[in-house]
Amino acid sequence: MRAMTLAAFPRALTIFVTASAVLAPLSLIFYQSFLSAPFFDARKTAGLGAYAFIFADSDFWDASLNSALIATAMVVIAVPLGAMLAFVMERTDLPGKRWIEPLILVPSFVSPMVLAFGYVVSAGPVGFYTVWATEFFGGAPWGIYSLTAIGVIAGLTHVPNVYVYASAALKSLGSDVEEAARVAGASPFRVATTVSLPLITPALLFSAVLVFFLGFELFGLPLVLGDPEGHLVLSTYLYKLTNKLGTPSYHLMAAVAICIVAVTFPLVLLQRYLLQNTRKYATIKGKAGRMRELPLRAWKWVAGALIGAWLFVGVIVPLSGIALRAFVSNWGYGAKLSEVLTLEHFQSVWEEPTLVRAIWNTILIGTIGGAIAVACYTAIGFSTHRRNDGWSRFVDYLVLVPRAVPGLLAGLAFLWVFLFFPPLTPLRTTIFSMWLAYTVVWLAYGMRLISSSLLQVSSELEEAGRSAGASRGRVSRDITLPLLRHGLLASWLLVFMIFEREYSTGVYLLAPGTEVIGAELVSLWQGGAIDVVAALSLINVVLVGIGLALALRFGVRLRD
Amino acid sequence: MHARLLAVTFAAITFAAFAQTPPAGYPADYAQTIAAANKEGKVVIYSALDTKAAQPLIKDFQALYPGVKVEYNDMNSTEMYSRFIAEVASGQGSADVMWSSAMDLQIKLVDDGQALTYASPEAAKLPAWAVYRNQAYGTTYEPAVFIYNKRLVAADEVPQDHAAFAKLIATKADKFKGKVTTYDIEKSGVGFMFVVQDTKYFPGMKELEKGFGATSYRVYASTGNMLEKVSSGEHLLGYNVLGSYALVRAKKDPALGVVLPKDYTLVLSRVMFIGKQAKNPNAAKLWTDYILSQRGQTQIGGAVELFSIRSDVDAEYTSASLAKQLGANIRPIPLSPDIIYLDKKRTDFLSEWKATLQAGAAGK
Repeated sequence: MRAMTLAAFPRALTIFVTASAVLAPLSLIFYQSFLSAPFFDARKTAGLGAYAFIFADSDFWDASLNSALIATAMVVIAVPLGAMLAFVMERTDLPGKRWIEPLILVPSFVSPMVLAFGYVVSAGPVGFYTVWATEFFGGAPWGIYSLTAIGVIAGLTHVPNVYVYASAALKSLGSDVEEAARVAGASPFRVATTVSLPLITPALLFSAVLVFFLGFELFGLPLVLGDPEGHLVLSTYLYKLTNKLGTPSYHLMAAVAICIVAVTFPLVLLQRYLLQNTRKYATIKGKAGRMRELPLRAWKWVAGALIGAWLFVGVIVPLSGIALRAFVSNWGYGAKLSEVLTLEHFQSVWEEPTLVRAIWNTILIGTIGGAIAVACYTAIGFSTHRRNDGWSRFVDYLVLVPRAVPGLLAGLAFLWVFLFFPPLTPLRTTIFSMWLAYTVVWLAYGMRLISSSLLQVSSELEEAGRSAGASRGRVSRDITLPLLRHGLLASWLLVFMIFEREYSTGVYLLAPGTEVIGAELVSLWQGGAIDVVAALSLINVVLVGIGLALALRFGVRLRD
Repeated sequence: MHARLLAVTFAAITFAAFAQTPPAGYPADYAQTIAAANKEGKVVIYSALDTKAAQPLIKDFQALYPGVKVEYNDMNSTEMYSRFIAEVASGQGSADVMWSSAMDLQIKLVDDGQALTYASPEAAKLPAWAVYRNQAYGTTYEPAVFIYNKRLVAADEVPQDHAAFAKLIATKADKFKGKVTTYDIEKSGVGFMFVVQDTKYFPGMKELEKGFGATSYRVYASTGNMLEKVSSGEHLLGYNVLGSYALVRAKKDPALGVVLPKDYTLVLSRVMFIGKQAKNPNAAKLWTDYILSQRGQTQIGGAVELFSIRSDVDAEYTSASLAKQLGANIRPIPLSPDIIYLDKKRTDFLSEWKATLQAGAAGK
């Protein structure tokens, strides 16, 4: 319903609203970075002092280096693993593929904050698995607080991001060339590395850039895992600046944000360029549809074991840790499981009105908020659908902008907008502020969902409508939109899960009335209320799980 | 038990509702303040103390003044500060009462002219260092303590004073490598303040800092994290932990031990002031006076499990009970501009601190 009225809105208004929502916060950050004090402070002066300060701060350079190292490690780990995984899932006769697929995607739907916390309680120095390993083998050969560990964990949890692009590319590729190689006697591994994967190089390049860029935005993992040994990355350095001078140093934070955007925005543009290239490659692909599965034979065990090991490390270890920690009162060496079991943490969540509100808000923002967000994305989608003018290109680039801004900063900028833009001020302490920030931060993701659905609508029906004399709005409303129904439902479920998972955007917007689980987790973790963090994390995982189950039930493809 | 509690509450409500007379010893015109506060109908509080922990105070205040609704918002102290200045600058109105453990930020706000001048009738009952220009008041008396893991640290190892702490981590550097924790003073205002005071009172502070460097100590932004990590055995010793939280957890956590340092114990006092642009100034006065009153302080030393700053209070956690244990060796942090280390002064202190740590790590 909502989508229909929005679709009927004049196109100019849609574009104007989108542009303001995207550009206002960003320009505020830009402006703030050239001041000496908060922009609302009467004592501020303009200048480059903020940049001078951070460039002179050794922490900034450490953090930049760490960010680059972690991002590189993520590419090195996630791209080969994701590509092989896609090959095995798309091309071979591995048994149990149907239930492995949703499991593969789990890490991309669980909040990184929750995952990181899960690793601390599972595999930290006194984590459950560490204690068990020490009891059985006399020691545990891993540590999770080093830079290497953060890179490895981040790499493993980003495998799904590569997997979805690689497998989509493989799907559209005929298998005749592979069969030829197979007939000539190549092993499945050889087929993968010399035939299939080279054919999808553009998709792999694209996902490599994506993962590298996500590495620069990483916040939850380094916040939790980098803390004990003091490893900073750019986003946690930025967060630390909140207090480094004793009072919040917005100008410094803004300057760091601009530095991050200076790295990520070119990457986003590069991605866009690669994506167009991918489509060009599409012309030389083999014929799709005649797919025959490669028999794995003995390789089955190797592939199965690798996937199993990855799932164990990436999904089971952290999630089981959370589940266990939520039900024990204290842990570590010398704590006996049978003596420490308790339901107290859930009780304290239940007794705390703000946390109960956080749970409700999180559900609301995912269901109703998600639906409205999809409606907005659809409206924007229609504003460029089958039009190839300057405005369409403008919107194409516009929706990419928020991707480059880390959620943490986008949230801060939205806080300023809500504080100082009078028409919005009454809404600041309502969940609307959180929703607007979420919707803008995930604009690019949402638009990709919508435009891929729109692409599936063939143009003949729309043209028929136009020839019969219907206006553009009428065609959108009566022809395109009804045809989109399934795509919209799928988008809604995916947006639901993404909104349940989001955490960094809400950190600065958190206020009485706007509580959401993700942001509460960051705040509670900083405050050290670990018991409650565990319980809330588990609740969050369950919410995402419900979304996932529904998505599977309705046959939604869990990827864009 | 429940029935009795209910009866008492009920009696308090009816009493308060029908007789809005000022508490004993208050000026006669206080009745007008109460009437005005009832008209305002609510008080908005920003506080660094959890809502859950503050619940007994809120309930008791509500029983005393049923006409004033308490809107209590907990957040961390930095966030409180930034939200307050942004809201005041935007002209939207902010908290009526600011209540935070970041004493330096609170004093800074007062010095910046953000506080309402109000001579509380309870002020005379407070120590002189806890009253600042009749604008800000110290409300609690929370010691900085050492914590240790009882399962993994032998009883004869437990350090009883600052010198012993420094000596222990210097002589048993292997055992304590990566197992000593304290505040991240770059992230935590409270931790920073404690260390500044330490450099004043503890001549061996430089050696201790070097010891931190040598054992590659671990730092966190809050007491909760330190308690968790020491309790689980990931770390063994904690330095400058907020004692109010540590003692409460130690009561039910068999792994956690707490030491009040014998040479001197720093004491932090949560600072409260009324916003100059408060929309509900009268209700804010009632709340402030209540917190400083014997009745409010009894809650603070009892159910809230912080330490009451007034000595004329009969409760489990009071300044008097601390004085009994520590004698004259208590060093409260005064409400004064001297505790403000911001901008350059702060970064200078931090770089010196870091240099000492690195010297320690390098074994110098």
